[in-house]
Amino acid sequence: MAAKLTEFYAQAAKQYGVMGRMKLAMLTKISSEKAGTEADSPDNIRLFEQAMLQLKQAA
Amino acid sequence: MKITTKLGLLFAGMITVFVLLGVTLLAQMKLVSDGYDAVLASPVRDIDAARVVQVNFKKEVQEWKDTLLRGHNPADLAKYGKQFREEEASVRAGAVALSQSVEDEEAHKLLVQFIAADDVMSAKYARAYDVYVAGNADFKAADKLVRGQDRAPTDLFDKVVQRLDARVKSTVAAQQVLVQRNQTLALGISGGLLFLLGGLGFLTVRSIVRRLAVLRAVSGRLANADVEGLSIDISGKDEIGEFGESMKGVHAAIEELLHVAQVSSQAA
Repeated sequence: MAAKLTEFYAQAAKQYGVMGRMKLAMLTKISSEKAGTEADSPDNIRLFEQAMLQLKQAA
Repeated sequence: MKITTKLGLLFAGMITVFVLLGVTLLAQMKLVSDGYDAVLASPVRDIDAARVVQVNFKKEVQEWKDTLLRGHNPADLAKYGKQFREEEASVRAGAVALSQSVEDEEAHKLLVQFIAADDVMSAKYARAYDVYVAGNADFKAADKLVRGQDRAPTDLFDKVVQRLDARVKSTVAAQQVLVQRNQTLALGISGGLLFLLGGLGFLTVRSIVRRLAVLRAVSGRLANADVEGLSIDISGKDEIGEFGESMKGVHAAIEELLHVAQVSSQAA
């Protein structure tokens, strides 16, 4: 269970709405459904952090 | 490796192969030309010189016969006697020059023997000439002294010509074998290079076409939002691989959109 990755999706939805979720999926190439099954590996967490940073810069 | 790099390398490879083929062809032509120049420079030149001496020797004997036949007339005696001596000198000079320049050892030995035999024959002809003049055109007495004397030098020189002729034929045959071998080698190398390059080109194009077909199928399913069970597996670090990675992002975004829509419809 990837609680951390799911948390990124919740954060994106809260801050940027549906568009934020879509962009996060596009940048990480992992949808929220898949994020629930992926491992919270350091690589995945780094990937999501970078994507979140891009979302923040684009906002 | 990028497709542009692969195609660039393939193009550069083709250019290199064709340049190498051109250089090889030029080198081949030079080799053949040099080989035939060598044949013309020695064996052909020798046989030509030998045939000139052979003809002059026959003319020398002919002049002797004309001297005996028509020498009762003082004017003819002077004319044919002079021509005989000229041909005699010409034969000797030609044979000596040939013996000095000829490269074939056997032909050289035969020429030395011919020159010695010609010397003996010339001395006998000189004595016969004196007898002929002293005997008031007594051709019978003169002929008796030299009858059959030209046989040995003639046979010796025929052997020289045969020997040099055989040498020309064997040199040309060796040159033809060399040319044939070099042609086979050049054809083998150029054919091998072209086959290798053609094979590489075929494999590169096949790989590109196959992966483009996979990409087209993925793109078709994404265009129809048919993402259920869709797996994008396009490996490689080239443009197609990069495009496949972008497709993964689009795939994930469509999945996310469908998920949001599903959750919203369930909530409503």
